Amino acid sequence: MRPWLLGRSLQAAITLAVAIVLLFLLVHLLPGDPLAREGDRQLTAVQLEGLRARYGLDRPLPAQLGAFLAGLARGDLGTSIEYGRPVTGLLMERLPATLLLGGTVLLLNFTIGLWLGVRQAVRKDGAEDRWLTTLSLAGYATPSFWLGLVLAWLVGIRWRLLPPAGMSDPLVTGGALSVSADLLRHLVLPALTLSIVSIAGTMRYQRSAMLETLRLPYIVTARAKGLAEDRVVWHHAWRNAVFPVLTLFGLWLPILVSGSVFVESVFAWPGLGSLAAAAVGNRDYPLLMGASVLVATMVVLASLLSDLAYALLDPRVRLS
Amino acid sequence: MRWTLRAGLGVGLTATLAGGVPRAAVAQREADPSSIVIVTGGEASVPIPTLMEGPFASTANSDIADQLFLRLAELGPALITAGDHAFEPRLARSWTRLDSVTLVFDLDPRATWQDGVPVTAEDVAFTFDRALDPALAPRTAELLRNVVSVTAEGERRVVFRFAHPYAEQLYDAVFHVAPLPAHLLRGIPPAELARSAFVQSPVGSGPYRWVRRVPGQFVELAANERFFLGVPAIRRVFFRFAADPDARLNFVLGGEADAMDNIPPPRTNVARVTANPNLRVVTVPSPTLGFLLFNQRDPRDRERPHPILGELDVRRAIGLALDRRQMVRAVFGSAADVPYGPASPLLWIRHGTPAPARQNVREARRLLAAQGWEDHDGDGTLDRDGAPLALTLLVTTTSAIRQQMALQVQEQLRQVGIRLELDRVDFPVYTERRNAGRFDLDFAATSQDPSPTGLSQGWSCHGGTNVARYCDLMVDSLLEAASRATEGAPQAWQAVLGRIESDAPAVFLYAPSYLYVVHRRFTNLRIRPESAWMALREWTVSAPAPRRPAVY
Repeated sequence: MRPWLLGRSLQAAITLAVAIVLLFLLVHLLPGDPLAREGDRQLTAVQLEGLRARYGLDRPLPAQLGAFLAGLARGDLGTSIEYGRPVTGLLMERLPATLLLGGTVLLLNFTIGLWLGVRQAVRKDGAEDRWLTTLSLAGYATPSFWLGLVLAWLVGIRWRLLPPAGMSDPLVTGGALSVSADLLRHLVLPALTLSIVSIAGTMRYQRSAMLETLRLPYIVTARAKGLAEDRVVWHHAWRNAVFPVLTLFGLWLPILVSGSVFVESVFAWPGLGSLAAAAVGNRDYPLLMGASVLVATMVVLASLLSDLAYALLDPRVRLS
Repeated sequence: MRWTLRAGLGVGLTATLAGGVPRAAVAQREADPSSIVIVTGGEASVPIPTLMEGPFASTANSDIADQLFLRLAELGPALITAGDHAFEPRLARSWTRLDSVTLVFDLDPRATWQDGVPVTAEDVAFTFDRALDPALAPRTAELLRNVVSVTAEGERRVVFRFAHPYAEQLYDAVFHVAPLPAHLLRGIPPAELARSAFVQSPVGSGPYRWVRRVPGQFVELAANERFFLGVPAIRRVFFRFAADPDARLNFVLGGEADAMDNIPPPRTNVARVTANPNLRVVTVPSPTLGFLLFNQRDPRDRERPHPILGELDVRRAIGLALDRRQMVRAVFGSAADVPYGPASPLLWIRHGTPAPARQNVREARRLLAAQGWEDHDGDGTLDRDGAPLALTLLVTTTSAIRQQMALQVQEQLRQVGIRLELDRVDFPVYTERRNAGRFDLDFAATSQDPSPTGLSQGWSCHGGTNVARYCDLMVDSLLEAASRATEGAPQAWQAVLGRIESDAPAVFLYAPSYLYVVHRRFTNLRIRPESAWMALREWTVSAPAPRRPAVY
């Protein structure tokens, strides 16, 4: 197990290093000028030169890459051009909002999604399976930004049941209960928007994996032995059918960091997604690289965790 | 369907928690109707005078800086930047002119910083010392290029000396920079100021003081109890951020904000706001000007004139081919005008100018034909020497208005035989191409300062932002004369506009008003075109009304 873990970790580290270099090159090859402004705020050529020198943008690309990697080794991601503050600090400020939204979505996704997927498989071709399939396909096909706009308008403005945007109401004061309730109200719509789409995907995955498992001889044996159906489904079948979904978990985990750019934008959710989107729009290279490095790290870690979970849960993988 | 019942119970419980518990919180919120939540498009990063340069030159920063830091004087309602009379005293109680190049300000002895220390002449001199340093504040230093020195004489007297007589000396002295507290900043090296604790918790002399910043969400300010011109009736101000225009509108329509700075397109959004009985729409002249800029140089070789747009008759023909009024009506309704020359609604020099030329397709065709542009091959596009009259229009995808109008321009030019390709790119690419002169026509929009002297940046031969390399010595001469004029300034500036109109370096398309949204409980509204919320301290609050229909 230990050599496997070491080898896999080394592979992950190399992947991350390659990804960071590629990201740096891609980000800096994007056309556009981070210091460009329009109208009376536009800078003259001389002023632009001065600012380029200040932010190191006048140096050759390899030199900029070297400086970035040296900074990264020290844990310094540079200073945001747009905010004038250290990128690490900015990312850390936005991380809690993203973790809250992403964590809620993942929780909903892998509880409701798995549960419904299993129910569908158990009731294959029944009425419940058919309408859940229809619903999940509809959810899967719905663009999240459109769904977000509709929910914000319908629930937030038309019915006024929940706030249409934001993470908190600045005027709400009082104890932890008031503040938490306010946060919960603001969380519902963005989390629902992202969850509807992701739950649909998880349901489809879980349903097919479960159907495959339910056909296997050991399930027939379990039933023949007279085990209760719930025990057969959840104890025997689901434990094997959950492995393919772990891969999906590995893919979804980066949501914790990257959030959803569109949904964060529609709901003015102050997470990393909206920060990264603004960084792209402004060509704020240091901030964009910081967010990209964070997401790349999460993707690689999630993949590693997913493999590790496989190895821990499935002896066949561990032994091979 | 046991599980359905369980799921229903779960949803019901969540809804009870989400809907029921916050009622207490709402009750606390409604008890404070003298707070205002303003939703804006950008997040303030460095709201400090002298630091709002380059990437920090944003409306978000200046909106907050205007609440925290008071200027020596402010422009009066007519926004006339020339002369010494159209200004209202603020930190300076009065000003006198010693001679044609010397202005003396006497500070109001009641003025204090928010930490209780009196505002002194030394603070003003200290601030201008930094503002005039091109290494620290390149753009401000350029704007203040005619200020030779700023010196303190005693505790309360400041003397400004200028390089030469001109009409906007007072404007230059008071508009570009608000004084900073020298007693707090003297120990901070200028280059370190942007990263100092002062930026995170600034201390100013304005009507509001800094309370807190919640990253990515809002900045909270509170009324300055020491404010010598009267404590504001609105006790707390929240500048709430939402980059997405629809999210901003949703904040206001959903009752989570009380005001916003401009209703985003489409025009149907105006009806959504007016349908809400709690909200009112306030129309305010904007500093914005939209225009089609003709590149005077060949984008492929900038040493040569543009092969098509270098000809005055072609430029004029393009202007005459467009029905600008119809386009403005279609996009803005009644909330915009067709400007005469490069003058936004903010510029005082636009008053008394002639009406812009109307569409004249016949004359446009005649001008083009006179230059040899005719449809020889019958394909619907004019051509000359086998080359079609085909141009590209650079337009940014971040502006819905410009994209919408670009389609109309394309169609109207097609009708006179000009083929226009739209080159839609995102904003950083747009500005990069624009600054490099890689365009035929550029759909530009500028946000102007109240002073018309800014026109020289875009329309004089050596203007710093003259990306089209437009150069007319007559315009330069008129600009120079107008900026120096101490008498007859309006006529001098109108001569500049007239010359630019006749030389057609651009087609000036729209000069909009902004449609602000404000909750009806606020009265005595004064929204300033050059800085929307600057006069917030003068607003009053009527009888406490519910912030929102209380469902949650």
